[in-house]
Amino acid sequence: MGSDNTQGETKSLNAITPITVTHPERVDIDALRLFREPAWVLRLTIEGDRSYTRIKIVRAAPLSHPDQYISFLDAKDEEICMIDSMDQVDEPARALIREELDRRYLTALIRHVTSIRNEFGTSYWDVETNRGQREFVVQNVAENAQWLGDHRLLIVDVDGNRFEIADLTALDKRSQAAVEQVL
Amino acid sequence: MTTERLIEKASVRVREAIAAELGSDLLLCAYADINEQGRFAREWIALTDERILLLNEATLQTESVLVSDIRDSYTEPLVGGGRLVIQQKCAAALKLYYSSSRAAVFSEVARALEQLPAGEALSINAHLDRLRCDSCRRLLPEKNGICPACIKKGETLKRITRYLLPYKAKSAMLALSSAAITAAELAPPLITKRIVDDVLVPSGDSPAPVDQRLALLLWLVLSLVGIRVMSWGAEWIHGWIMSWIGAQVTSDIRSQLYRRLEMLSLQFYDKRKVGALISRATRDAGMLQEFLVDGLPYLIINGLMVLGIFGFLLWMSPSLSLYIMLPVPILMVWGIVFWKRMRGYFNQWGQVWSNLTDHTVETLTGIRVVKAFAQEKREMATFARHNHRVREVAVRTAINRGVFFATITFLTGLGMLMVWFFGGQQVLADEITLGTLLAFYSYMWLFYGPLEWFGQVNDWMTRAFAGAERIFEIIDTDPEAYENPHALRMPKMQGGISFHGVRFGYDKSKPVLNGIDLDLKPGEMVGLVGRSGVGKTTTVNLIARFYDPDYGSISIDGTDIRQIDLRDLRSQIGIVLQEPVLFSGTIAENIGYGKPGATFGEIMRAARTANAHNFIINKVDGYETQVGEKGAGLSGGERQRVSIARAILHDPRILILDEATASVDVQTEKQIQEAMGHLSRGRTTISIAHRLSTLRDADRLIVLDEGRIVEQGSHAELMEKRGVFYDLVQLQQAVAQIIAIKE
Repeated sequence: MGSDNTQGETKSLNAITPITVTHPERVDIDALRLFREPAWVLRLTIEGDRSYTRIKIVRAAPLSHPDQYISFLDAKDEEICMIDSMDQVDEPARALIREELDRRYLTALIRHVTSIRNEFGTSYWDVETNRGQREFVVQNVAENAQWLGDHRLLIVDVDGNRFEIADLTALDKRSQAAVEQVL
Repeated sequence: MTTERLIEKASVRVREAIAAELGSDLLLCAYADINEQGRFAREWIALTDERILLLNEATLQTESVLVSDIRDSYTEPLVGGGRLVIQQKCAAALKLYYSSSRAAVFSEVARALEQLPAGEALSINAHLDRLRCDSCRRLLPEKNGICPACIKKGETLKRITRYLLPYKAKSAMLALSSAAITAAELAPPLITKRIVDDVLVPSGDSPAPVDQRLALLLWLVLSLVGIRVMSWGAEWIHGWIMSWIGAQVTSDIRSQLYRRLEMLSLQFYDKRKVGALISRATRDAGMLQEFLVDGLPYLIINGLMVLGIFGFLLWMSPSLSLYIMLPVPILMVWGIVFWKRMRGYFNQWGQVWSNLTDHTVETLTGIRVVKAFAQEKREMATFARHNHRVREVAVRTAINRGVFFATITFLTGLGMLMVWFFGGQQVLADEITLGTLLAFYSYMWLFYGPLEWFGQVNDWMTRAFAGAERIFEIIDTDPEAYENPHALRMPKMQGGISFHGVRFGYDKSKPVLNGIDLDLKPGEMVGLVGRSGVGKTTTVNLIARFYDPDYGSISIDGTDIRQIDLRDLRSQIGIVLQEPVLFSGTIAENIGYGKPGATFGEIMRAARTANAHNFIINKVDGYETQVGEKGAGLSGGERQRVSIARAILHDPRILILDEATASVDVQTEKQIQEAMGHLSRGRTTISIAHRLSTLRDADRLIVLDEGRIVEQGSHAELMEKRGVFYDLVQLQQAVAQIIAIKE
């Protein structure tokens, strides 16, 4: 196609496309209001524009930037808007966001490894996490444990549950030794 | 229909607390494993047909809701789990959090919570997955799978040995040669003992004369030679038979496994990953073979040897045997402990190696991209990092291996020293002869050798047996009912199909078809239309009986298809898929797949009808052109036409076209359309097409939405009706226009 009549094409394109394109990035962050009303319904309102119930708050980069790039989705999983940093909203909203994120991301942080038994290519873990004690099974540890950094480890068990070791070197010596044995 | 109940095991406290609130007539009782604060703890949910009860296991706090007060309930997937939300008509929503381990159960709970308020009878999958081993309570690596720790090794071994039965003579020879090898290893020290005691340094007051001793020496040396020859022969026979039997038995198991895999229903395949199955057919069988060829003979011979030596040692000098035994426990513990560690290193080593090769393969296959972005330096740096890691791990593994063997040598050395020290004293005290001491010394080497490896054998055996067990698990699965003697033979169908209130879901809790009633006359051509995921492909899957409906029935010419002989049914159904699968072989062979024994003339006729003949004869090798697993060398449209020719030759009464033209360009589509027109003539044809324009020739269009038939009629009728179909056509035309302009 030639570039000389691009203008005309664009025009005719617009004429026949009934599809409206939303531009989430155009939402003015200052007009964003996040609150509970009634107490059990989380609402997102863009002042003077529209209001959403049943919203979903997700992280765009949950592993490397958990507190940045927070996206708000509507009931159909379409993005309403995104904030680049938690600092862009006021403290009450921040608390609500944190609370929602904590509920959505059920990854458990491992604080202590009680034991790891590695038998027959399968490892049986018994750990203390920020969510309490838990036992889980990992098949083929090498494949299901992912290094997120030099000392940061994400482990996915056979059911798809996620366990994270934020800093292996910060664990007690016994836990470290146990983990190093299977990796 | 009886109501299904899903009741999970609860502690007495919990059971009593629930019973106090709801009575004992529970429909469902399940636990979530994360509490409101996000900690791992059990929260129970119990249902009767009137009330829902939530109960915190730790505090026994309860919350109860009337079923009639529920407005809506659903599950919401979260990261690493999910939550069940129960919306009430006039109060806060109740939420239960659970980890991924509980997700399957909670999809059933949610389904029950949909059915109850609607006044429906509960129909959920009440089968509870087995997560832990029944005997050792260990978590299972695969749901409902086998527990590697609890395989009854005896049972498995028995089953493996049953495969030896057809080879009785060879097995007997094997046992014989094993015994011979053991004997040949055990005998020489006894002979050297006699050489020392009776020939070289005879004891007693009147030693035999020298020439008699010389003759004896000759005999003893000759018998040593004899033993060596026997041992050589026995090892030769043993090695040969063992590899033969090992390979034979695993090949028997493998082919039994493969036969079973071919005969299993698609339902079985839906539940498993094909990769895992392939690994079973190759890796598990390979592991078993390795064990049979290397492990088992090693175990038998060394087992016999250790027992034999131990017997001899005790017989020669009980006290000295005791000293030899002293390092044994240390040796075994060391072997077991260290082997575990070594395995870690070996795993790591394999891992870093595969990282390195993965990276190399990836960048070399994507070399054009690397160069296009000028990222050679970065890739080199990544490679260097991987390479460095490989070196590190390799060195560490080697060092540890060195330490392992050095320690073993040291420990066995200690045993030797003890033999020299205490044995020497006994010789001087005339308690044993010098020959005995020397025999002792030789036996000790034989004795310690196998012990070093015993730590590894158990692990080895367990892996091999777990592999065997996984294979047996498949062999024991029921195959499809091809061999049902009561099935009705229907070699000549008319091709009338009717659906009566058919409901079906791959996952019982998520129905895909929600009551389909449909009648197709013989020879009719219908088009199935609807958005993706509304159950079009599912509908045709049910006709071919890849699955059976959950409720309702499907009949062909008035006979329920469940009663029709499966072979008769499928041989009269032809399917053309969107991504045609061609097997390795020539084009002619692939067309002939639909009708074994077809003549070349028939194959060509089919190809002509399918508009394939022309492109085929333009290939260098014509009909003998080789096509690979996915039809390498043929374009998408060409592959499709070959697969249509295959269906034409198959000559089915019922033809299913599942998005047959979706992946080809418009030009090719016309040719394929024409070919399909030839094909569908006179056959009951069900065509699924994304491009609605391809269905213009259909006698009738059937529009599906959310598992139900929402509209049916001819193209013109449906356009007139301005319903769902009309909207779909409008949308497609709009999109087509946009694409046309862009192009």
